[in-house]
Amino acid sequence: MTEDKERLDRAIMAMRVAKELPPGGTVNLGIGIPTLVSMFVGDDSIVFYHSESGVLNCGPLAEDGNEDIDLINAGGQFLEPVPGMAYFSSADAFAMIRGGHVDVTVLGAHQVSANGDLANWMLPERGVGNIGGAMDLAAGADKVIVAMEHNDRNGNAKVVEECSFPLTGKGCVSLVVTDVAVLEPTPDGMVLRETAPGWSPEDVQEITGAALIIPESVGEYEV
Amino acid sequence: MAFSKLYDTHDAAVADVRDGATILVGGVAKSNEPSGLLSALLRHDATDLTIVCDFSGWDGSETIPRLVKDGRVSRIISPYPFLGAHGGVIPELWELGDIEVVAVPHGTLAERLRAAGAGIGGVFITTGVGTRFDMDKESRSIDGVGHVLETPLRADFALLRCHRADGVGNLVYRGAQRGWNSVMATAARTTVVESDEIGEPGAINPELVITPGIYVNRIVRAAGAPAV
Amino acid sequence: MPLTETSAFKIARRAAREIAPGAVVALDRGLPELVARVTPESMGVWFLRADGTLNGIPLSAADAAAIVRGGYVDLAIVHPAQVTADGRFVGRLYARDASIAPPGIGVDLASGARRIIALHPQINEDEPEICLASHLLERPVDGVGGIDRVIADCAVFEPQGTEFVLSEIATDRQADDVVADSDLSEVVSISDYPAAMDFTVPSGTPESKVHADGASALHDLPDGVTVFIDGFGGPGGMAHYLLMSLRDRGSRGLTIVSNTAGIARVVSFGTPPGRTAIDHSVLIENGQVAKAIASFPVSPSVSRPSEFELAYRRGEVDLELVPQGTLAERLRAGGAGIRAFYTPTGAGTLIAEGKESRTIDGRDYILEYGLRADFAIIRAHKADINGNLIYRGTSRNFNAVMAPAARVTIVEVDEIVEPGQLDPEEIVTPGVFVQRIVKRPDGFTGYE
Repeated sequence: MTEDKERLDRAIMAMRVAKELPPGGTVNLGIGIPTLVSMFVGDDSIVFYHSESGVLNCGPLAEDGNEDIDLINAGGQFLEPVPGMAYFSSADAFAMIRGGHVDVTVLGAHQVSANGDLANWMLPERGVGNIGGAMDLAAGADKVIVAMEHNDRNGNAKVVEECSFPLTGKGCVSLVVTDVAVLEPTPDGMVLRETAPGWSPEDVQEITGAALIIPESVGEYEV
Repeated sequence: MAFSKLYDTHDAAVADVRDGATILVGGVAKSNEPSGLLSALLRHDATDLTIVCDFSGWDGSETIPRLVKDGRVSRIISPYPFLGAHGGVIPELWELGDIEVVAVPHGTLAERLRAAGAGIGGVFITTGVGTRFDMDKESRSIDGVGHVLETPLRADFALLRCHRADGVGNLVYRGAQRGWNSVMATAARTTVVESDEIGEPGAINPELVITPGIYVNRIVRAAGAPAV
Repeated sequence: MPLTETSAFKIARRAAREIAPGAVVALDRGLPELVARVTPESMGVWFLRADGTLNGIPLSAADAAAIVRGGYVDLAIVHPAQVTADGRFVGRLYARDASIAPPGIGVDLASGARRIIALHPQINEDEPEICLASHLLERPVDGVGGIDRVIADCAVFEPQGTEFVLSEIATDRQADDVVADSDLSEVVSISDYPAAMDFTVPSGTPESKVHADGASALHDLPDGVTVFIDGFGGPGGMAHYLLMSLRDRGSRGLTIVSNTAGIARVVSFGTPPGRTAIDHSVLIENGQVAKAIASFPVSPSVSRPSEFELAYRRGEVDLELVPQGTLAERLRAGGAGIRAFYTPTGAGTLIAEGKESRTIDGRDYILEYGLRADFAIIRAHKADINGNLIYRGTSRNFNAVMAPAARVTIVEVDEIVEPGQLDPEEIVTPGVFVQRIVKRPDGFTGYE
C-alpha cells in the first residue's frame, strides 16, 4: 500500500531539479514548483535565468516595497533588479528559446507520457486554456525537465502511457522529477532512475499510469 | 567566479576552429572589424573554411583577401563578395575554380542568419523573385504573390567586434558596428567577441543591451584596447 | 567623361524633389547618398542607408532589411548599370560573371520599396557606366519592373514598357540633342511638351505625430478592424489611457491581438487595494470585441474568470489560441515582410491541425503566417516628436514587436521630448513605425 507513504515536499523536488542545471547555462523556470528551483542553486554555480517576459540574467522575486510593474517574470510576478540584466522584445525572447539558446527549462505538467510527450496547457474540463510560452519552451529548449506531483489531487497518475490531455509538445521531456521518483522518458518507455526514501520501484509502479522500465540499480532520490 | 567567458588571448579564443568550419565575420572595415580575432585566424592552420561576411575585401582590410590568397577559404557567402571594377583575388580564384562564391542579397543574408538564431526552419519572402536570386529555390504563390523559401544559415563560429561587454556577455555596439555583428551573434554555435571595453556585470544599463549574453560564448579584449 | 561635382549635385537635387516630407527613403551606396546631403532637415525625411543606419539610429542588418521588406520604404534611390524600358535593372557594380556580381541591397530595394528611381549620372556613349536599354544585355536582372523614373543631370526618363519617354529636360539643353548625342534614339521618345527640370531644393514639413488626447489619436478607428494591444500578466506595458479612449470611442466588432485577453484585473499583481487594473476587460464589458488572438487568454485561476472568459462561455467572442512565441514571431514577420515561416513550436499538437507540416533536417515544423493589423495601441516610456521610442524594463515585450506590424501605430507615453534628446543608441523602436503619439495625462494611474 502506498497511501501511507510519505511524499517529498516541493522544496525537496526543487532541490533535486537544481542539481540538473549546468554551470554557466541558461535556464527558464516555469510557474509553480519550477519557480522554487532558483532558491536551491548554490552560490558557486553560476546559472543565467531567462524569462519570456523579456529579461535575461534576472534575479529573484522582488522584496516587499521593491515592486516595479515594468520588471516582471512570465507569470507577471515582480522581480528584484540585479546587475547584468538585459531587456528585449518578445520576438527576441522567443528567438532565444526556439533557437536553442536556452539550455534547460523546468515546467509543470498535467501529464507526461512514457516517450516524453508533455501535456500542460489545458485541462479538458475547463474547455479553454492558456498556452503562454509552454509550447515554445517544449519545442525549443535543449532540455525539458518536468517538476510535478506524481499524482493529481484525485490520485490520478500524471505519468501515463499516452497523454489524454491536449499536448504541449511531442517527445520533448527529458527528465521528470516528482514527489516520489525521478524518471526518464525514452523511446522505449519510461525508465525509473531514482526513488524517494521509503519507496520501492514497485511502490512507484503502483501509482504510475505507464509500465516502468526498472533498471538493475535504481538510485536513491538525491538532493 | 566559477564560470567565465573571458579569454586571455585572441589565439586561445579561436583555437578550436576546425577544417571545414563556417565562420561569420561581423565586419571587415575599420572599427567594425574583429581584427585581433582575424589575425589569430590568419596564424591558425584551419583550412577549407566558409566565410560569411558583408564585404569580403573592402578598403584597407586585407584580412579576408589574405585568408583567400593563402588558400584557406573554399567558399565566400556575401552580398558584396568583391568590389571594384577588377575585384582582386576573389574573382581571380573563382575563375580558376579554386573558390566558390555565393552572392546573396543583403537583407536575405540577414534574415537567413536571423532565422538560424531564432529557430525558424525557413521563411517565405518576395525578395529576389524573378531575378537571378530565385534560381534553384522552392517557390510558391501566396495570395497571388510569388515568394521564395529562404533557409536558415547556421555557422560554427562568429567572430565579432563590439564596443563594450560586461562579464556575463551582454554587448553594446557603437553606431553601424551593430549592423552585422548583432545578427551574427545569434547564428553561430560559438560566438566570440572582441570588445574595446570589458566591464563587470551591471556595467551596461539593461535597457541598452543589444546582444544579450545568452548568445555570447567568449569575450576577448580588442587588439590595442587599453586595459580597464 | 567623369561625373563632375556639379552634375552629381544637380541629379541629387532633382532626385530630392521626388521626396515627400516625412517619407522613408532608402539610399543605395554611392551617388544616391548625396540625396541626403541636399535634402533640408526640416522635411523630416527618414534616410535608411546601406550601413544599416536610419537617420543615425543604428539598426541590426536584420532590422534594417525588415524596414525594406516590410513595405516601409516609400522611395528607394539606386544607381544601377542598366535600366530597361519595362523598369527592370541590373546592379551598378562590375562583375566578370553575372552569377557572382554583388547584389548588395539593390535586390532588397527592388522587391520591397514602394517606388524606385534610378540615378543616371551622365549620358555619354564613351562611358557606358549606365545605360538605358529596350531589353537587358547579357546579365540577369537584380530588380523586376520597379524603376519608374531615371534621373540624369540633363533629362528625366520614364520607362513606359517598350520605350522610355523623355519627360523633363534641363533648360540649357535641347531634348533632341540629348537623345541624339547619347545614341538613345532607339529606346527613347520625347514627350510632346517636356517639362523644365527643376533643380531647386525641395521644402515642406511633415504632419505632426503628436495628438492632444486619446480621442483625437483614435478618431478614425472604425468598427470591425484588427487592433494590436499589448498586455502581459500585470499592468505594466499596457496603454491604459488609450484603452479607455477606445472604450469611449465605442468601435465594435474588433479583433484584438494580444498576449493575454485581459487578465491584469483578475491577477491584480501590483494593484493598490480597493482598485481595479484597467485591461482589455473594459472593451469586452462594453461589447466591442468579436474575437481575440492570444496566447494566454484566460485567468490562470479557474475560480476567478476574466471578462473575456465569461464572454467566451456566453458565446459572444471567438478565440484563436496561439503559442506566445508564435504570436511574437507572427507579429515580427508581419512587420518584416515575411509572409510565412516554419516554426517547430506546436508541431504534433492541436495547434498544428489544418496547418502545413514539414520535417527539415530531422526536426518537425509547422507553417505559420505573418500577422498585420490596421491599428496598434501600444505603450512606451518616452517618445521624441518624430516617434522614436524607448520602453521601461520588461514592458518592452510585445509593444516593440507590435509597432512595426500595424498600419497605424498609436503610442501612449509618459513623456514626449524633442528630437536629439534620445540617444540614437538607446532608441528601440524607430519613428518610422509610429504614426501617432499621445502623452498619458498627468495623474492617470492605470487603475479604476
